[in-house]
Amino acid sequence: MTDRIVGLVLLLLAIGYALEAARMEVSFFTDPLGPRPFPYIIAVLVGLSSLWLIARPDPEPAWPPRRFWPVLGLVLLSLVAYAYLVVPLGFVLATTLEMTLLSRLFGARLRTGFLSALAFSLGVYFLFTKALGVGLPAGRIFG
Amino acid sequence: MDILQALLNGFGVALAPVNLLLVLLGCLVGTLIGVLPGIGPISGVALLVPLTFALKLPPESALILLAGIYYGAMYGGSTTSILLNIPGETSSVVTAIDGHKLAKQGKAGPALAMAAWGSFIAGTLSVLGLMTLGPLLAQWAIRFGPAEYFALMVFGFSTLSALAGKNLFKALAATGFGLMLATVGQDPQSGIARYTFGVMQLEDGMDFLVVAIGLFAVSEVLVFLEEKAPGAVQAQVGRIYLSLRDFLSSLGTILRSSVIGFLIGILPGAGASIASFVAYTTEKRLLGPKARLGEGDLRGVAAPESANNAAAGGALIPLLTLGLPGSGTTAIMLGALMSLGVTPGPQMFQTHPQVVWGLIASMYVGNAVLLLLNLPLVGLFVRLLSVPAWFLIPAVLAISLIGVYAVNNNPFDLLLMAVFGLVGYLMRKLDFPLAPVLLGLVLGYLMEINLRRAMTISNGDIGYLFSSPIAIALWLLAGLSLLSPLIIARIGKRGLGNEEV
Repeated sequence: MTDRIVGLVLLLLAIGYALEAARMEVSFFTDPLGPRPFPYIIAVLVGLSSLWLIARPDPEPAWPPRRFWPVLGLVLLSLVAYAYLVVPLGFVLATTLEMTLLSRLFGARLRTGFLSALAFSLGVYFLFTKALGVGLPAGRIFG
Repeated sequence: MDILQALLNGFGVALAPVNLLLVLLGCLVGTLIGVLPGIGPISGVALLVPLTFALKLPPESALILLAGIYYGAMYGGSTTSILLNIPGETSSVVTAIDGHKLAKQGKAGPALAMAAWGSFIAGTLSVLGLMTLGPLLAQWAIRFGPAEYFALMVFGFSTLSALAGKNLFKALAATGFGLMLATVGQDPQSGIARYTFGVMQLEDGMDFLVVAIGLFAVSEVLVFLEEKAPGAVQAQVGRIYLSLRDFLSSLGTILRSSVIGFLIGILPGAGASIASFVAYTTEKRLLGPKARLGEGDLRGVAAPESANNAAAGGALIPLLTLGLPGSGTTAIMLGALMSLGVTPGPQMFQTHPQVVWGLIASMYVGNAVLLLLNLPLVGLFVRLLSVPAWFLIPAVLAISLIGVYAVNNNPFDLLLMAVFGLVGYLMRKLDFPLAPVLLGLVLGYLMEINLRRAMTISNGDIGYLFSSPIAIALWLLAGLSLLSPLIIARIGKRGLGNEEV
């Protein structure tokens, strides 16, 4: 059943992808093939594979226990938040928070998790910015 | 150019202090990645590419470092297989069969030493093969036109899809998904934006590193989170030695497995895991019941460990001579080289000899480094396993965040990474292979541009794609490889599962 749903999603993806290619505005000054046919080929490839999945699905995958999904959602949400917060908060603070959250999820105590996350973030920050010349955001609070 | 002269120049590159240091670093980091379960060579290589960009390394130095990680990881995977029955990499799963039994019999030392010597000999032999076969193949492929290139890539995708996963159609869908990602951004010839949906950050396309780190590293973190990986483990190493008698009795196995591994490594899609498996079963059949393979025989360690290291060398042949990566790791190397302005392919032997020959020479050095450095350091690497998961996994994620941010200094990439982390996690759960996505993304641009060049030459005649004998042969091979899962299923061997090298 899962594979059938996945097949359906892939089929819709392929159709949408092909429609989007058809909608593209193409100027006259282009090569004989133009920008459309290659996407069409891909859409056919994905479309046919998805039809096969719908027709001949694999056995059900081993899903994680139900209580894992909120955890997964939390981690993904924290990554999205990280993307928005890393520039205003700065690399060190944002990364410390992210690592602390994750270490908690792996069963570390809050204090231990936070302190080692802070130490690691600081160490890596100075290693990358000072020694290796990688630019990482300092943050608007401290910078 | 004379091969020996070229090799000599290559050593000139490889022995430069910076590059020596990078070989050393690559081998160390690679072994570390190999030892640590859960961090695969693909993630390892992907995480270090931003560093090579940041350090503004020239292409040869970058490649030397990345290749060191690649074959270093092949070696490192054996250590935990033998000592703890935890394969660090999929390519060392077979090693655990005899290796761990030997360890339980108190022969961990000889088993580790055998893995090291087997890797060293096989690695060195495969560099020899790379050195002799590579230029020949490049000379032959230099006449390839766009039609041949397009057919070659179709062939690459077909073998990869046929070998990479359990379900051919899932692999094909994954390939198609990767190709879809490749078409996001400006059209290579007319310059119009495709599939950007008005998002400005997508105009330049998706960066392969962002996708790779999300798809592999972040999804690995999520899988770990689900499984709540066993934390600290301890192991006894003992004295590491190998008697001459054991060495000589395994020499045949090492040599045979090197050849098998090397040849399988060349094939796109078939990587180190399949090589180690085939080498082991071949030896088992060849040696018969007198050898106690499966019950703790040193040759059971020698076969897979030689084969997977030789495969790493073999896998570099299609990358360097044709510009066709056969695995996720080599796809990242291709992407990195292209970002540095070097397009791998037959012309590279002439236009960038320092890259090709510098890499080849560095691999001789690297294999020796692995042997000299890692045997004394086995104890240290094993102690690293006692680093608890609650520290290790967040640290891997933090390094992923740095790597992704450093690519373009753009927080938007972090969002993309999170999305691909989820996609990668779901794909792992649903048994979709991940490597084809990466290959599709990295090769999609070249594939389309060659198709369009071919159509420009022929003024739109599709028949041109099938007009040369080489192209026809490649199309036939592509068709054959797509049928191969059916043939293999007939013979009754099951796939080895997801190839992750």
